[in-house]
Amino acid sequence: MLPSGKRLDRATALFISLLAVGFLLATFDVRADGQSATTVLRGGAQTLSEPVQSGIDFLVRPVVGFVDGISNVAGLRDQNERLEAEVQRLEQALRETAALERRVAELEAINDLSPPEGLATVTARIYSSGASTFDQVRFINKGSSDGIVEGQAVIDESGLVGRVDLVTGSSARVRLITDPLVSVGVRVQDTNQTGAVTGRGDDVLQLDVFDATEPATEGAVLVTDGSRFPPGVVVGFIREGKEAKVGFTLRTTVDPAAAFSELDFVKVVVGWSPLDADPGTGDPLIDAPSFTDPGVDRQ
Amino acid sequence: MTAGKTIIALGLVLVAVLIQTTVFQHFQPFGYAPALGLLTAIGTARYLEAEAALFVGFSGGFLQDLLGGSPLGLWASTFTIVVFITLKIRDREIAGPLAVLAGVFGLTFVGQVTYAILGTLFGQGIISRPGVFWDLTIPALYNVILAYPVFWIAKAAIRPSERTWVA
Repeated sequence: MLPSGKRLDRATALFISLLAVGFLLATFDVRADGQSATTVLRGGAQTLSEPVQSGIDFLVRPVVGFVDGISNVAGLRDQNERLEAEVQRLEQALRETAALERRVAELEAINDLSPPEGLATVTARIYSSGASTFDQVRFINKGSSDGIVEGQAVIDESGLVGRVDLVTGSSARVRLITDPLVSVGVRVQDTNQTGAVTGRGDDVLQLDVFDATEPATEGAVLVTDGSRFPPGVVVGFIREGKEAKVGFTLRTTVDPAAAFSELDFVKVVVGWSPLDADPGTGDPLIDAPSFTDPGVDRQ
Repeated sequence: MTAGKTIIALGLVLVAVLIQTTVFQHFQPFGYAPALGLLTAIGTARYLEAEAALFVGFSGGFLQDLLGGSPLGLWASTFTIVVFITLKIRDREIAGPLAVLAGVFGLTFVGQVTYAILGTLFGQGIISRPGVFWDLTIPALYNVILAYPVFWIAKAAIRPSERTWVA
């Protein structure tokens, strides 16, 4: 019973009720961990909104391309100068590549690593992003009818993009590796040390190498170790060199290989699952599913 | 007429969230997008009755939860809190364009901070992210820029008889 003259007005009562419902929903969703009625709700909302979002995306894409084109013209002169310098740098790098290729081949042979060749992939277009700055997700226009299931790796031509964490019949949600909830087992290609790369919510990733014995060198390539993602996919490049200290975890930052702000088309690796992988090499033990959909490519 | 206005307001918020997830996927000046769904909820709350405004705010936030990557209910709670504050301050005597713009900035910022706190409590780790200050601030600044067109549309749709060239 409230004191006289201080009756709770209807709006305040509704506000408190809605807030309670919101907190209950969030608690339920977090506790259920993706296996509940909330997943069905999300799936239904995705299915309903996907055609509209794809339509808006279809209309907006050329306009954005046009605006990008205009802004690019203004920067062409600067870009030309940068490219000339880049060509000189690349010519120098090319001379060093032969030696590096031999080294990589040796390392791959020693570590029994191989890039994810021969895996079936489904090409998908990104039609929507997250609903706020805090969301590190993208939505793609392929779903369970194309062979996509939760947990599959998503890549682009540069490297690892993320993993599928919600699937409907015709669409799927991809959680980017920049999300703090995503952790990727990696191998530093030049030292063979293993560690974990975790998202920080921005464009930089965090690398933790436990029991590091060798320093992390700037620019070193990180590839997936085959634990949860197909082995040999480039994840990123060490941004900041760090010395290893005995008894301490080596922690440094990583530039992701994929350019998340420019993502347009991605590939979902449908022919590999950690459950089906050879525990030693991470290579697939089973053949990729034989989809007849023309969107399924064999790399 | 309240039901009709509520449905119109819900439609506006729905469109805003769809634009948020599609148009602002491509168009992000300096890597940030405005919080258009939240801005539209604030805009509609200025012209609806209190209960209807809260319902629209909660529904808009819930829709944003459904189409985003966060646990359900976080944006719904955030929108509800922001709309409730909007209702409390909308009839204050302070008026004028600057007061409205300052209000939009403040409300959006409060919304972003509320979401960051709730998200952190529910395991999203938002507060500890590098650059979180800009994540909270820049969408609020963008909302200030978009405030007048959005408020004008909200007023024209919900209270067409009172429409003027200033929202």
